Amino acid sequence: MADFDEALTAFAAEVGTDGPVCVRGGRTRWSLGGEASPGTREVQAPEGIVAFEPAEMTVRVRAGTPVAALHEELAADGQRTALPERAGGTVGGALMAGESSIARLGLGPVRDALLQARYVCADGRIASAGAGTVKNVSGFDLCRLLVGSLGTLGLVGEVLLRTFPVGEAERWVRLAGTDPGAVRSCYTAASVLWDGTDVLILLSGYAVDVDDDLSRLAALGNCEDVDGPPELPPHRWVCTPAEAAAFDARNGAAGPFVAEIGVGVVHASQPQPPRPVEPGVVELNRRFKERFDPPGRLNPGRDPLRKP
Amino acid sequence: MHLGLDDDELVACVACGLCLPHCPTFVITGRDTESPRGRIALMRAVQNEGAPVTDDLIRSMETCVQCRGCETACPSAVPFGHLMEGTRAALAGAGRITPRWQRLALRMLRHRQLLLAGSTLLALAIRLRLVPTRRLGLPARMPLRRPPLRTSGGDVWLFTGCVMDAWQRDVHLAVQRVLEAAGVGVEPTGGAAPCCGALHIHAGLEAETKAMARRVMDGLSGDDRPILVDAAGCGASLKDYGHLLGTDEARAFSARVFDVHEWLAGRLDELKSRTPVEPLDMTVAVQDPCHLRHVQRAHQAVPAVLGPFVANVVALDDDGLCCGAGGAYSVMEPELSTAIRERKTAAVARSGATVVASANPGCSLHLAAAGLDVRHPLELVDQALSASRR
Amino acid sequence: MARTLAAATRRVLGSRRRGDRSAAVPATDDTDAALVADLVEAIGADRVRADAAARYLASRDASIYKEGNAGPVCYPGSTADVVACVEVAARHGRAVSPRGAGTGLAGGAAPLGQPVVLSMTRMDRLLEIDLDNGVAWVQPGMVNLDLSRALAPHGVHYAPDPSSQAACTIGGNVANNSGGPHCLAYGVTSAHVLAVEVVMSDASVVTLGDLTAEPPGYDLRGAFVGSEGMCGIATAVAVRLTRNPPAVRTMLLSFDDVSDAAATVSAIIAAGIVPAAIEMMDQRCVTAVEDFAQAGYPRDAAAVLLVEVDGPAGGVAIAGERVADIARRNQAISARTAADDDERARLWKGRKSAFGAVANVMPDYYLHDTVVPRTRLVEVLERIYEIVDRHDLIVLNVFHAGDGNLHPILAYDSRVPGTGERVQAAGREIIEMSLDMGGALTGEHGIGVEKREYMDRMFSAVDLDQQSRLRASFDPHCRMNPGKVLPSAHSCSDIGALRASDAAGVWG
Ligand SMILES: Cc1cc2nc3c(=O)[nH]c(=O)nc-3n(C[C@@H](O)[C@H](O)[C@H](O)COP(=O)(O)OP(=O)(O)OC[C@H]3O[C@@H](n4cnc5c(N)ncnc54)[C@H](O)[C@@H]3O)c2cc1C
Ligand SMILES: Cc1cc2nc3c(=O)[nH]c(=O)nc-3n(C[C@H](O)[C@H](O)[C@H](O)COP(=O)(O)OP(=O)(O)OC[C@H]3O[C@@H](n4cnc5c(N)ncnc54)[C@H](O)[C@@H]3O)c2cc1C
Ligand code: SF4
Ligand code: SF4
Repeated sequence: MADFDEALTAFAAEVGTDGPVCVRGGRTRWSLGGEASPGTREVQAPEGIVAFEPAEMTVRVRAGTPVAALHEELAADGQRTALPERAGGTVGGALMAGESSIARLGLGPVRDALLQARYVCADGRIASAGAGTVKNVSGFDLCRLLVGSLGTLGLVGEVLLRTFPVGEAERWVRLAGTDPGAVRSCYTAASVLWDGTDVLILLSGYAVDVDDDLSRLAALGNCEDVDGPPELPPHRWVCTPAEAAAFDARNGAAGPFVAEIGVGVVHASQPQPPRPVEPGVVELNRRFKERFDPPGRLNPGRDPLRKP
Repeated sequence: MHLGLDDDELVACVACGLCLPHCPTFVITGRDTESPRGRIALMRAVQNEGAPVTDDLIRSMETCVQCRGCETACPSAVPFGHLMEGTRAALAGAGRITPRWQRLALRMLRHRQLLLAGSTLLALAIRLRLVPTRRLGLPARMPLRRPPLRTSGGDVWLFTGCVMDAWQRDVHLAVQRVLEAAGVGVEPTGGAAPCCGALHIHAGLEAETKAMARRVMDGLSGDDRPILVDAAGCGASLKDYGHLLGTDEARAFSARVFDVHEWLAGRLDELKSRTPVEPLDMTVAVQDPCHLRHVQRAHQAVPAVLGPFVANVVALDDDGLCCGAGGAYSVMEPELSTAIRERKTAAVARSGATVVASANPGCSLHLAAAGLDVRHPLELVDQALSASRR
Repeated sequence: MARTLAAATRRVLGSRRRGDRSAAVPATDDTDAALVADLVEAIGADRVRADAAARYLASRDASIYKEGNAGPVCYPGSTADVVACVEVAARHGRAVSPRGAGTGLAGGAAPLGQPVVLSMTRMDRLLEIDLDNGVAWVQPGMVNLDLSRALAPHGVHYAPDPSSQAACTIGGNVANNSGGPHCLAYGVTSAHVLAVEVVMSDASVVTLGDLTAEPPGYDLRGAFVGSEGMCGIATAVAVRLTRNPPAVRTMLLSFDDVSDAAATVSAIIAAGIVPAAIEMMDQRCVTAVEDFAQAGYPRDAAAVLLVEVDGPAGGVAIAGERVADIARRNQAISARTAADDDERARLWKGRKSAFGAVANVMPDYYLHDTVVPRTRLVEVLERIYEIVDRHDLIVLNVFHAGDGNLHPILAYDSRVPGTGERVQAAGREIIEMSLDMGGALTGEHGIGVEKREYMDRMFSAVDLDQQSRLRASFDPHCRMNPGKVLPSAHSCSDIGALRASDAAGVWG
């Protein structure tokens, strides 16, 4: 059991024990799952890295820390986390949004990144979920529950995240006019993006392996280096990997798109129509919200079921 | 009730469950009562915790095929075979298992002439369609006449046993020809050693088994010739006399016993050098009899011996799971036995083989009753040898 | 109909000892008879057992906990069967406890208060392989290794590989969020489960999660995985398929000193190498394993590390070299690389048979499963030896060193008076020491009943309250596998589902 640091207790005090409240992160995903109800007080999660242990491959960081700032710090030791990095986005926001990075093939989903969370409950007390180790099954998995919950179950102040070594070599390449399925043979692909014609691939790993995959790609067609990922259309659709690979802009009236192959995310020009949800799942979501936030004060107006 | 089990053997089980997938009855029923771990826990409950011996508990013991697949799988080396034999002996002693008719039937195996005569009668009845062979798991055809056994030399004994000699003497003759082809002089044991007692010990008839063991040892004493056995069940039984009787003499006797494949595997060059062979052009699946694989742990010898004589020898992919024959098991527990066999026939089908080689007569009969073409491995070798001679 | 049902029920309830009416056969009382009759009617007599032997065996798993007390045991063959059983149990006010292969080491499958036990072994089919989405749907009773074998022809596998994989079921793996040697690089069960069909405590059927990248709403399948049977019965599981790595290198590193081996582990991680697995065994364990499996481990080494790196061939070669180099710098006395698949299989066989092989040392063992920061392994191992010596016990260490997941095995003979107490005392000290080092109570075996009362050493009252809210959101009435994980003060108030009656005698 932990003694909570000052920043965390101060955050809890700010959250207080009553009145509707939500955390303002970088506001990069502010409307995800709905708009905040009018009259909701905004608080900010504390900032700063508490402890980075490269040999343990974990970092303890306060939730208000920008992901980019965190990654800059980790890069000094050749590491990073699975959180997506966008201008202004915070660690807490990335976890609460639960949307994985476009390099998910290589980094894994955000849901696997969180090892421990310290958060303020609806009654203003601080709870700790998970453990300070890279492996743990002590009790129910509150960490998994929190990721993607949009701050509707608890307001996160401090987290312990898993880190990874950054690939020794990283390269973005474009393969013009190729079937994205053909790229499957590349073991080092950390991201495979397809806009209906071209495939953009991020290769990441040992230099020898990346070179190997490059020659494999070259055999498939015209392969050229590019600076980075393309500009992504504004709306994020979530689907199965098979649907992403067979994504047809006309069918979905989605407009120009970029599909994350092997993952099941498509960035499209139009918003995704609501996804059907089983009544039993809706009921469970309701029960979770009710049990974790009886007064309904945590981020009212937002509902993860309304995320695309 | 005290089952008379060795306490160290009984507590050796740590309940890890690693034996479960290797137990044919658990694989079929999915019930702990039909698993090795469950059976051991029940033995313990009875012997150490004073639990009553209920009918359900007895069923749990009776449904065990005694294949000992659990024993080879067990990392803690729990001697399951001993525990189950001990339990059955205690239950039979208390009159709780092995009904009178079964005891009578088993008694007959000790009387060779009676058995031979009875078998001839049975063969006749089968020909006259008086006996439902399929339902009883009997072979569809049995020999009316048996070519005589003959002695060709004094290098080794060939153990001929009881039922097998009566029903499958052809196999003994083929085995003998193969041995002779390797330059070995063979003396069949015939009346000198009427029955090994395997079925009796399975049924919990310990005292009878001991008497039969002594009789066999007496019959084959006087020299220390190797005793070769072409039926895996009998081989396992003879090899266990040392443990059963616990005497130096019995241990020395058991040390002379070899499965015929085990013995031949070391002498293959001898065999091959005498007769240049053309391998039989067929795909043969090797079925590992439990008493060869799990008890004698000598199953590797069969594919080794078959290798030079059959073009395509394939292994089954079922980890040597029992076929469900289990001596008298197929008669006593027909439903489970058939269900277990279905998994084996499915494995044979997956292997693509047309012929199955089995080194145990019980397994052969059981599998043949499901419509498979089953031969003794040395019958195939004999066939290859005689084809080459021609 | 009614007559045949009554007869079937009588059969299912079990027989008394033939010809001996005085035998102390247990508590199959009248309420049970009505319950059993309804269960038999619901799913058929061949799928229900309520006799003493069946219940006795359904009361225990691979843990040392022996106080379980099962009610009738059902062997459902389908989701509909499970629904029917849960309905009947609810009607009779009885709890339900699911059971896989019973290889759990924390007493999770040891039922408390005579619930209806659902033994999931008959639901063991592979339902579908969907290569386009990289998943397979399997029934919960399917054995972990059978799944990987069935997947082999497709060039994929199911990554979590508990050492018990030859016997344990996917349902048990999901419930315990099980790990295994290769979870170091690939993640534990939770990272490999996309969706779970669950029969809830009100007998409704809900699919948690789906095959999409991010299912809508809260991550309910994430919350379900690891819930030890207390949130519902898994009746189908969509598992992620992992591509077989193009190259694998397995190395056996041996050391004169345990701390050199531990230091090597830290150094490998610190060097930014993420091997597929790093397993460690100390000398006593190596000896036990060699006696059983003849894996070719050096008996004279104080500790060995089994390190496996996988991935594309080029990187594997580089990582392999680096690992060997790190080992040499940490005074390794030998570094052997498996030459072929056979040798690789043998090296792993030794590791996988370790727990069982312990029985060659002593008849009983108590296996702990704590996690410590992997950088503190040297210190932690020294403390373990010290604790165990002080209690005059034998310890064998075999564990997932790469992620700091310890498995100290206390080997003992329970027949020696006083040993049990010493084992308990030493175990308690090891757990507390691990927590003091910043560790966790359990890395993969779960809390079950075993570690329930340690939970408040690791978590505050607020934390536990949050956990019980998770549980209650799934199962408001605490009907599913009650009495596990949460310490008594935090478990559901409605323990009415637990039957107080503990019948006397061994068949209770
Ligand atoms: C154009 C655009 C495209 C994007 N594309 C991708 C993409 O392709 N893949 C991808 O993975 N991500 C993408 N993102 C999201 C990513 O950039 C953000 O990292 C992150 O998901 C949101 O972080 P934030 O701090 O801005 O959160 P905010 O927008 O400030 O907050 C998001 C929600 O989380 C709540 N919240 C924030 N912090 C906390 C906390 N500490 N405790 C509790 N609740 C909290 C807020 O109340 C709010 O409801 C995209 C963002 C933009 C703007
Ligand atoms: C020798 C040995 C080695 C082991 N090695 C490892 C290891 O390396 N890693 C590891 O993580 N564990 C290991 N274990 C522990 C154990 O094997 C795992 O916990 C395993 O996942 C249990 O599976 P099972 O099928 O035996 O489940 P059981 O023991 O039968 O049950 C475990 C839990 O799952 C619940 N459950 C079962 N089925 C369902 C279902 N369908 N729905 C809901 N809940 C269900 C039960 O109620 C119980 O709480 C080992 C055990 C042994 C004996
Ligand atoms: S001997 Fe065979 S049938 Fe009997 S418990 Fe062992 S594996 Fe099962
Ligand atoms: S018999 Fe052996 S393998 Fe089976 S549970 Fe007991 S110790 Fe484990």
